[in-house]
Amino acid sequence: MNLLKITSGLVGGFALLMSGSLVLAAPPVSEIIERANQASYYAGRDGRSEARMRIEDNRGRTQTRQFSVLRKNVEGSDEQKYLVVFSRPSEFRGTVFLVHKNPAADDDRWLYLPDLDLVRRIAPGDKRTSFVGAHIFYEDISGRNLNEDRHELLEETDQHYVLKSTPKAPGSVEFASFQTWIDKETFLPVRIEYTNAVGEVYRIMENANIEVVDGYPTPMMMRVQDLQSGGNTVVQFRGVSYDLGIPDAVFTERSLRNPPAEWLDRR
Amino acid sequence: MGKTLAFWCMDRSRAVFTAVILMVLALGMMIPKIMIDTDPENMLSAEQPDRVKHNEIRDRFGLHDMIVVGQVNTQHAQGVFNPESLAAHYALTRAIEQMDGVIARDLMSMAAVDNVEQAGVGTIAYDWLIPSPPETQEEADRIRAAVERLPMYQGTLVSEDGQAAALFVPLESKDISHRIAMEIRSVVEGLGVADEFHITGQPVAQDTFGVEMFQQMAISAPLAGLVIFLAMLYFFRSLPLVIAPMLLAMATVISTMGLLIGMGYTVHIMSSMIPIFLMPIAVVASVHVLSNFADRYRPGDDPREVMGDVMDKLFKPVLFTALTTAVGFLSLLTTPIPPVQVFGGFISFGVVVALLLTLGFIPAYTVSLKRETLDRMAEKFRRKELADQQANKDGGLLGRMGRFPARKPGMVIGLVVAVLVVSVYGIQQIQINDNPTLWFKEDHRIRIADKVLNERFAGTYEAYINLRQTGIEQQVDELRRSIQLTLDEAAREGLDLRSAWSGMWEDSAGAASPGDRLETLAMLIDDHLFDAEPEAQDYWMEILDQVEAGRTATRAFQNPGHLAWMDELKNHLEKTGVIGKANSLADLVKTINRELVSGDMQDYVLPDRANGVAQTILSFQSSQRPDDLWNFVTRDFTQASIWLQLPSGDNQVMSRVVDAVDRFVADNPPPAGVELEWGGGTYINLVWQGEMVEGMLWALGSAFIVVLIMMIALFRSLLLGVLAMLPLTITIAAIYGVMGLIGKDYDMPVAVLSSLSLGLSVDFAIHFIQRLRMALDDVGGDWKAAMDQVFDEPARAIVRNAVVIAIGFLPLLAAPLVPYITVGVFLASIMATSALVSLFVLPAFIALAPRAVLGKAVKSV
Repeated sequence: MNLLKITSGLVGGFALLMSGSLVLAAPPVSEIIERANQASYYAGRDGRSEARMRIEDNRGRTQTRQFSVLRKNVEGSDEQKYLVVFSRPSEFRGTVFLVHKNPAADDDRWLYLPDLDLVRRIAPGDKRTSFVGAHIFYEDISGRNLNEDRHELLEETDQHYVLKSTPKAPGSVEFASFQTWIDKETFLPVRIEYTNAVGEVYRIMENANIEVVDGYPTPMMMRVQDLQSGGNTVVQFRGVSYDLGIPDAVFTERSLRNPPAEWLDRR
Repeated sequence: MGKTLAFWCMDRSRAVFTAVILMVLALGMMIPKIMIDTDPENMLSAEQPDRVKHNEIRDRFGLHDMIVVGQVNTQHAQGVFNPESLAAHYALTRAIEQMDGVIARDLMSMAAVDNVEQAGVGTIAYDWLIPSPPETQEEADRIRAAVERLPMYQGTLVSEDGQAAALFVPLESKDISHRIAMEIRSVVEGLGVADEFHITGQPVAQDTFGVEMFQQMAISAPLAGLVIFLAMLYFFRSLPLVIAPMLLAMATVISTMGLLIGMGYTVHIMSSMIPIFLMPIAVVASVHVLSNFADRYRPGDDPREVMGDVMDKLFKPVLFTALTTAVGFLSLLTTPIPPVQVFGGFISFGVVVALLLTLGFIPAYTVSLKRETLDRMAEKFRRKELADQQANKDGGLLGRMGRFPARKPGMVIGLVVAVLVVSVYGIQQIQINDNPTLWFKEDHRIRIADKVLNERFAGTYEAYINLRQTGIEQQVDELRRSIQLTLDEAAREGLDLRSAWSGMWEDSAGAASPGDRLETLAMLIDDHLFDAEPEAQDYWMEILDQVEAGRTATRAFQNPGHLAWMDELKNHLEKTGVIGKANSLADLVKTINRELVSGDMQDYVLPDRANGVAQTILSFQSSQRPDDLWNFVTRDFTQASIWLQLPSGDNQVMSRVVDAVDRFVADNPPPAGVELEWGGGTYINLVWQGEMVEGMLWALGSAFIVVLIMMIALFRSLLLGVLAMLPLTITIAAIYGVMGLIGKDYDMPVAVLSSLSLGLSVDFAIHFIQRLRMALDDVGGDWKAAMDQVFDEPARAIVRNAVVIAIGFLPLLAAPLVPYITVGVFLASIMATSALVSLFVLPAFIALAPRAVLGKAVKSV
């Protein structure tokens, strides 16, 4: 779900239709998961968004990062491409991340540091590491592979499907399980609680301020709380739009040194 | 006075006993509430400026007390870099992370940190240094090669020779360190590797000290009681007679400790010694009373009358010896060190309790004994005295000793002068130094761990230099003035942006720092841009640029210049060898820069510009442990911290580091506006040590003057007063002189002893002079005859007293902890020496001018 969730929503109207018509039984877990994944990460063919991220520690000390995100789905697959361009604070202006997401294998990631004029590939590694110092992980941004966890439906309320997911390879991640509240109307996960080995919830992720943009339900705010350190990160989104027809060329290494202003600027 | 009081008590013995029992019960009930405090930091009061700063620094940079665990393998050719050792290291790290009270995210070990490296051309990789336990030697070799490229970990997490690895385990609070250390030991036992493991670090030392302190109190204090009991039994040969002082001592100790605990004071290393101090002190006065009683009492006498006479005679010396002792301890209140103040204050209380019990309880106890018992006791005692007298007749050692200085005063005084000269030289050689780790004996496992780990690593003792950029507020003021100009300009165009601006300025007021505030302002302006009228856009953009530039300017420690200065300081300190190693933001940035650029050593440099530094750091923030950054710099980049690793906890070592930094700063001024402050446990130890030396000089000086005034008042003679102070002055000078000569460090226990031993050892001079004056009356003014008389029974009493006290402190030698041993040796020798010096030196000075000293009572011969 997330950060770049910019984009979210799924086949919005269709979802409404579904939830309206299926009053009796919940869809199978696999379907809920799949639709939530779609709603969170794959809304539209492509999309753009401006994000402002505020990282706060337990003492109220803050760091802010502002960036624009372009995203495009690779047609006929679950692969995606992201371009993240930093605008503020000024010392990060022009810093760019390019991600070619490939759920079936490792993602390809590039980084451009303008002051050093360096393009670097980022080696595929742990995806549960911080994104530029925030309490948000790379994996929160690009989505966790659905097949890495076992999912079960814990509960169905008036508004939510409550799912519990347990990693198939427990040693590979820092959580023991997580619980997701999926909005029945939009299929957007609105709350995820991560539980550690001793059964404590230590990390909470929330999606809020859901607006329908270009027909796609889109959370305009997301928040991750790190209960262990007492810090949190809030991301606000603006200037969201979908189905812009962004060309593939935007998502190449060329864009690292020359960010595509025509797509980044709001129109 | 003494007589009246004694009669009053003897007539109400039941009431006296009840009162004593009630006091002991009421105060003794508090003892189970005992709280132990072994934190050397508490040697400074909570408001002491250095301590406040130290805590601010720790808070600011998220620094915690750390246990250091060392793993050593000297058998394998690659040291710990073999699959088994690394697997054990990995397993140990994971196990410690799970322990309750360990701050897992800040734990440092090779199995918990990142490796940043080039993974192929143009690719940077942040990955765990040991992602999983290695299975082959090749993997172990790869880990070794990787860690050797990371300067921040070399000498810190792994020794240069590869034979040892270390874990730094941060704790939520230091009072759990003993438990954590035990848990770590039990994990280590289950690891099944041949590697040696050592656990050290200041919190373990402190907590372990607390545990062993209990043992000391449980062993040494009762042992002291037993030894005193046996010594008295030897001297007095009467169980009932000896039991009274023992009861008195117990009542005193229980009441004092009960009051201390009941008043909410923690039992610190100092106050844990109260029982062992009080016991001999409490006993001594009653010994005087009882031996005098035994001396006078004849079967058939009325014990009430005899005791009345005894108290009449002894009231003054008993009162004054107690008061001088109390003053000696009270002088500790003038030190700026809270635990020492508590120690001094409560011992004084105990001394007063003992005094009251001697004056009230002892007479009441004595008259309650059966007549036969008293008769038997008096008989036995006198037989012993006669035997002693017989043995010492003329040829007795004491007698000879007494006559010699009277005959050859010049020789004695010459000797005294010689001793003083040597002592003064010795005192100048005294090394002021302390190190809480050295409070353990050399064979203690903490000392061994300390030795092994500090030989192999850069050091397990930490200090922090906090660098602070000042003048940030002024920068912000300047920025506001320049924005005002932009607003004025807009106003001339007919645009009123002022109210919007001041609204945003107010809205940003809650930020944690000026930099945060400017960042918030930038956000607010950015938001405002959407609503602002089109004509105002350009002005707002300009203001936004100004705010952004202003914010960037506050981020001092993003400047390569600032980092370079920290790096120079670090290199200087490492090169001069005063520290083992230092780590700062500069090391981090250089390492990341190297791996970003090429991975080659030539790129182990700082980026040229602040933005380059910022972007390097941004890259690091995507690593596994982005928060490690904040141990080195604050989030607003206005303050930075340099972590110094010292291979020794000696205050002298810390002191040399401070000097070296001061000299470096004088020769190489830091970037403009940067100020330095110190923190860290090792530095705090240095601070309280300094306060203590000064405080003790004060205490010693004030105790000396007060006791001197008391002596002058007691003897109503300036000369006698000065004379009474002489033996203990010589003694203390001589003992400190010897200490300087043999190279014993002047540390906390030694410092505390100086002023209090003054109050204790003056007792001998009081008794000697008082008895000499009485004898002078007896023999009709012949001072030599009076001297002979004094060197009979009174001198024996003095020696006996000295032996009881000195012996009473000896059980401290059995203590498992060095400070207690030091106190034992030191006090025993002060007591013994000052008793001898009193008997040896006083006659010599009196012989010089008997009439001048003793007054008209001396008849010319």
